Amino acid sequence: MSTIAIKDVDHFYGTGSAKFQALHAINFAADAGTLSVISGPSGSGKSTFLAIMGGLLTPTSGTVTVNDKRYDQMGQKQRDALRLDEIGFVLQSYKLLPYLTVADQFKFVKKVRPKGNVSPAENDEILATLGISSLLDKYPGELSGGQQQRVAIARALYTNPAIILADEPTAALDSSRVKEVGTLLKNLAVKYNKAVIVVTHDLRLIGFADHLYEIEDGHLTQKQ
Amino acid sequence: MFLALKEIKKEKFRSGLVIVMIVLIGYLIFILTSLALGLARENTAAINSWGINKVALNVNSNVDMRQSLVTKKQAGQLTDKEAYLGETSVVAKNAAKKKISAVFVGLEEKQFIARNLKISQGHKVNGPHELVVDSSLKDKGFKLNSTLYLNGSTTPYKIVGFVENAKLNIAPVFYGQLDTWKALRGIGTQGAGPTASAVVSKNAKYDNDQTGVQTYTKQQIINKLPGYTAQNSTFVMMIAFLMVISLVIIAVFLYILTMQKLPNYAVLRAQGIPGKVLAGATISQSFLLVVSGVLAGGLLTALTAVLMPVTVPMSFDVPILVSAGVGLLVMGLLGSLVSLKSVLNVDPVKVIGG
Repeated sequence: MSTIAIKDVDHFYGTGSAKFQALHAINFAADAGTLSVISGPSGSGKSTFLAIMGGLLTPTSGTVTVNDKRYDQMGQKQRDALRLDEIGFVLQSYKLLPYLTVADQFKFVKKVRPKGNVSPAENDEILATLGISSLLDKYPGELSGGQQQRVAIARALYTNPAIILADEPTAALDSSRVKEVGTLLKNLAVKYNKAVIVVTHDLRLIGFADHLYEIEDGHLTQKQ
Repeated sequence: MFLALKEIKKEKFRSGLVIVMIVLIGYLIFILTSLALGLARENTAAINSWGINKVALNVNSNVDMRQSLVTKKQAGQLTDKEAYLGETSVVAKNAAKKKISAVFVGLEEKQFIARNLKISQGHKVNGPHELVVDSSLKDKGFKLNSTLYLNGSTTPYKIVGFVENAKLNIAPVFYGQLDTWKALRGIGTQGAGPTASAVVSKNAKYDNDQTGVQTYTKQQIINKLPGYTAQNSTFVMMIAFLMVISLVIIAVFLYILTMQKLPNYAVLRAQGIPGKVLAGATISQSFLLVVSGVLAGGLLTALTAVLMPVTVPMSFDVPILVSAGVGLLVMGLLGSLVSLKSVLNVDPVKVIGG
């Protein structure tokens, strides 16, 4: 059983003459311990695909299954809960709450979800792995873009999700930083046994992928 | 509450600005309320001190005790719960020619109002040229045995006692004998002429059915005191407008603060943080800001109460001021509802793809 499985997903926007098909019969699966990279140019349907995987959009047709639970059949509250439990989002614009220190970002999640998070010792280890242990008292505004990104990754791992969804994690990074982030995501998948799925237009990341997909005009094809 | 506290702690300047606004509005509401209450009390302190429920006046007096004259026949049979009361405006002058506008109230010494007068200094009236006056005259230099001349006459009246809170229509009250009232009104003490301005009663069911006389409740009399209703309505309107202004200010400030946070909230929603948590943070923030502002406004009001000269007609009634504070808090919470819709409708899909 795959951690996340998407079967025969179509998605349309608009109605009537403005109706537009963003995704065509998408089939996709990702397993724990693997890094899947989905690349494609702007307007190819990447964002729609990511939103459907993350339970933010309901597909027009087809099924989305996360750990054997049908996402596409759930109501808003159930999907919120499933996202909180099973999916860690790492978004292009990290948008950490500016008035919470790094430590408070985790405290806030713990207040909303008191059980099922990583233990303090595990969190310390994640922070050490990401090299941000010394930043706990800092506010996001006091961190560099790379540090904010690593805090966002730590925040995504804090709820111990089965899936990490990363949206353009290397946007605007130079090649050495791309290599660093690619290695980090690959290590996260293996070390913490997560299904890491990266949606990107950055071809520099494809060398790190266990599974490589390409999306173009709403059609997904596996390349590797 | 966690998010709200953290935001207020981090964004001290912005939060401080909102709190300062609420402090000023709260302070203004508290001061206006105290002033309204103080003036209302100075209008009615004497009437309230008499412990009466009903007042019988001449039907043509326009519900004004000073304009009313009631004959003995119209007064009818009085029980121990009724009393005669003669009221007239006077201008008092002392030897130094200092003039004071006052209200003279003539009483029968054996009836309940005169009997129940609480003298704070001196003694009750025993003769036609003796007065018991409001203690505020002490601040104007009057003492026991000071001499006063009423309405330009050469008859000297001696202050023999002081009473607290003897004010009517904001003027100090001079208590004297009913015969003195008659003399001041130019009414003879013999014959079938007027006996008093009114018959007042402690009995809530008292109803004088004599011809030419009508019975009113105490509140009807108070409401017809010159300027009383207009003055109270003005204060009520001012306080109500301030409440509405506070609602708008809090709503606008919170709306701006919330709009700035929506991208962050969209990320939190994408991460599965329930909308009710974010809504709770918005309401908590409003609650904390308003409570801080109201408490600071309350402290400022308490400080004002200590420093305010006694001559300023203000009354700091804690339960009423707490009610005003609660009203402000309700307005703040209502103001936060404007932002709530945006928070609950934030679209997490917008944060995908940049």
